[in-house]
Amino acid sequence: MDPLNLIYDLARGPLVWVAFAVFIVGSAAQLVRMWRLTSPPDETYVPRVKKADGKNKLPLSYRIRLSVAGSSPVTVAVTTLFHLCLVITPLFVLGHNILLDNAWRVSLCSFPERFSDVLTTVVIICAGYFLARRVFSERVRIISSFWDYLFLGLAAGPFITGYLAYHQICDYKLVITVHMLLGEAMLVAIPFTKFVHMLFFFVFRFAVASEYSLGNGKRRW
Amino acid sequence: MKKNTKGVDHRKIKNILDKNKAKIELSMKACAHCSMCAESCFLFQARNKDPRYMPSYKFLKTLGVIYKKKGKVDRVTLEEMKPILWKRCVLCTRCYCPMGIDIPYLIRTARSICRSQDVYYRYDEDA
Repeated sequence: MDPLNLIYDLARGPLVWVAFAVFIVGSAAQLVRMWRLTSPPDETYVPRVKKADGKNKLPLSYRIRLSVAGSSPVTVAVTTLFHLCLVITPLFVLGHNILLDNAWRVSLCSFPERFSDVLTTVVIICAGYFLARRVFSERVRIISSFWDYLFLGLAAGPFITGYLAYHQICDYKLVITVHMLLGEAMLVAIPFTKFVHMLFFFVFRFAVASEYSLGNGKRRW
Repeated sequence: MKKNTKGVDHRKIKNILDKNKAKIELSMKACAHCSMCAESCFLFQARNKDPRYMPSYKFLKTLGVIYKKKGKVDRVTLEEMKPILWKRCVLCTRCYCPMGIDIPYLIRTARSICRSQDVYYRYDEDA
């Protein structure tokens, strides 16, 4: 059997389920671990917690101006767009939903292919912005390591190969196999590597009370 | 070159690291090295936006190094961390990480490790 066909069948079949299983179990374990790092509010010890919720917070416009959205608006806009497209696009790509339907007879609704293509392009452009920032901005370069470039590549990889596959650039079978392998690698990597910031962000920005917390979480570190 | 590990009690460092392991490990992993915390440090603003004053730089070059080496650091390395931890940070706790990392806690832990090895800033002598 052709080795590429063998890898293709593996990537399309058992590896998908392994990747999803590792992603779901690993993420659940990490979320529990993160939650255990926080404690319930101790009003006597941290009286500020009470002030941090609801009306006693600064008005939203002040909080935005004082936060990173005020100091680096372009990067915050690009980051938000990148992460939104990164999560939403794979869920609603027609090809993914067809595979899901073939396997389980269930699927989510799908974006028109042209729209998915635009979202994919947005992710690639945003990744390019992050790469340029990492290379040319001294403050980012000084704290960057090999792993930062690798993980940026791993995040952008499935989208670049997805784009190439959709536009039938290069050998389709090879590109789509690499696309599936990169996507699976990314899923597996989320709970255990730098990608864990995806989970970390939601726990600590929403659950833990602070001046800039999102939502009204009252827990503390 | 053989490292100068004389006078460094690795067990003490390891104890502090082990006690705080879960939080340090997650914080180091969650740091996306984005540098967005920079502007929240008043010293960064006051020192002409010198990146060595960024909160992330400060904890990555101190606790980050100690954690990566599992506490097996030499005295020279700890001495090099001293100005980062005391001169470039006043622990005002105003630093702000978009990811939600507790940066003051990481700096405080690094200071504890240095203090456990008798490395700390003597303002009367080191100033």
